[in-house]
Amino acid sequence: MRHSHTYLFLLVQREEKQLEASLDALLSQVADLKNSLGSFIYKLENEYDRLTWPSVLDSFALLSGQLNTLNKVLKHEKTPLFRNQVIIPLVLSPDRDEDLMRQTEGRVPVFSHEVVPDHLRTKPDPEVEEQEKQLTTDAARIGADAAQKQIQSLNKMCSNLLEKISKEERESESGGLRPNKQTFNPADTNALVAAVAFGKGLSNWRPSGSSGPGQPGQPGTGPILAGASGLQQVQMAGAPSQQQPLLSGVQMAQAGQTGKMPSGIKTNIKSASMHPYQR
Amino acid sequence: MEAPPVTMMPVTGGTINMMEYLLQGSVLDHSLESLIHRLRGLCDNMEPETFLDHEMVFLLKGQQASPFVLRARRSMDRGGAPWHLRYLGQPEMGDKNRHALVRNCVDIATSENLTDFLMEMGFRMDHEFVAKGHLFRKGIMKIMVYKIFRILVPGNTDSTEALSLSYLVELSVVAPAGQDMVSDDMRNFAEQLKPLVHLEKIDPKRLM
Repeated sequence: MRHSHTYLFLLVQREEKQLEASLDALLSQVADLKNSLGSFIYKLENEYDRLTWPSVLDSFALLSGQLNTLNKVLKHEKTPLFRNQVIIPLVLSPDRDEDLMRQTEGRVPVFSHEVVPDHLRTKPDPEVEEQEKQLTTDAARIGADAAQKQIQSLNKMCSNLLEKISKEERESESGGLRPNKQTFNPADTNALVAAVAFGKGLSNWRPSGSSGPGQPGQPGTGPILAGASGLQQVQMAGAPSQQQPLLSGVQMAQAGQTGKMPSGIKTNIKSASMHPYQR
Repeated sequence: MEAPPVTMMPVTGGTINMMEYLLQGSVLDHSLESLIHRLRGLCDNMEPETFLDHEMVFLLKGQQASPFVLRARRSMDRGGAPWHLRYLGQPEMGDKNRHALVRNCVDIATSENLTDFLMEMGFRMDHEFVAKGHLFRKGIMKIMVYKIFRILVPGNTDSTEALSLSYLVELSVVAPAGQDMVSDDMRNFAEQLKPLVHLEKIDPKRLM
């Protein structure tokens, strides 16, 4: 029996701690919200002639962000259901309460019969309640399918609008640049990176797929023919000579496989070079 | 069997795994001057440094499907400078938050008989090119703006032709493994070069 008592006690203690922690979080969130609302109101009242739309948007965004975090705090798994808590006024007195003044920053001086109904109210205003009831009956009347369709069409319209806006933004940016000269060419970037990474467009004896713009592949092969003997010289210096005839035989076989360029040129190159493919 | 990503590998054998963080872009020839001016303003104050390098890429074909690649680079305008041998691993992809291309990197200075040595070891030259351009530094970041020239006659570095009408711009940092905040610094620097140059992480496998 005592075990269950202690267990219950611990549970209650934990819940109290959670309640306290979440209340603190809520308090700080609400305080932030109040401050930003206050500054927004001040801005609207005092700086209305200098106010710009982006500045108003900023304030709205700040408020919406804070409301969001407030919602998140409320939805957080560690916050107990506040719905289950009840606040009951224990003592009402028409005298000034200094403690209360301090806690509410001077807004609520007296905890009396006039103040309590407003501050401890849990039901919304009658007009607000009416509107909410109206909205819920409307929503129920439409039916689940129609509601779903409406949701989807709203989402589609929003995304279309977003696309149009971003496209407009992109086009206006590039349109502004087009009269000015373009400072880089993405195709060139890719060609250069490919050349440095794995030699695309650089190897003389491989049929290069894409050279850079303005560099046709054909003129490259001319000097190769002339320099074939030069090639032989260079490669011979680096390797034992008995490997040469073996490799050239192998290269001829490969030439048959990968023939894309005219065969005359191919045989010249292949017989002279010691290609890394066969070892 | 795939090796674990190099950034996780511990220090072994007394050497630290160095990674190269890389961002690449290009600039058209006529905008080169503006880019150089901007870089001179942004980078460390030093004499503008130009370089003319000849790089040869060597492959070693083994039993595995992918050959082993080593890059040998020599300076053509600085006599007496050592040759530079470099190994670059496969870029580590997959981390969307990393803003730069990261790959394992080993850099070694060698003497002039490097090519003979590599040939004796069984490497064969796959391709070569000449790189001519400018070099800037900002802290540990190195910015290279260079033009790639294709060598028309293998071995003859005088007969070259430009590969394209653009200069390649590379922003690179060589740092020990695991320092990913480096890529944030690189991205911030790259932002300052827009809209002249668009430096980004380009996966070479996509361009194959």
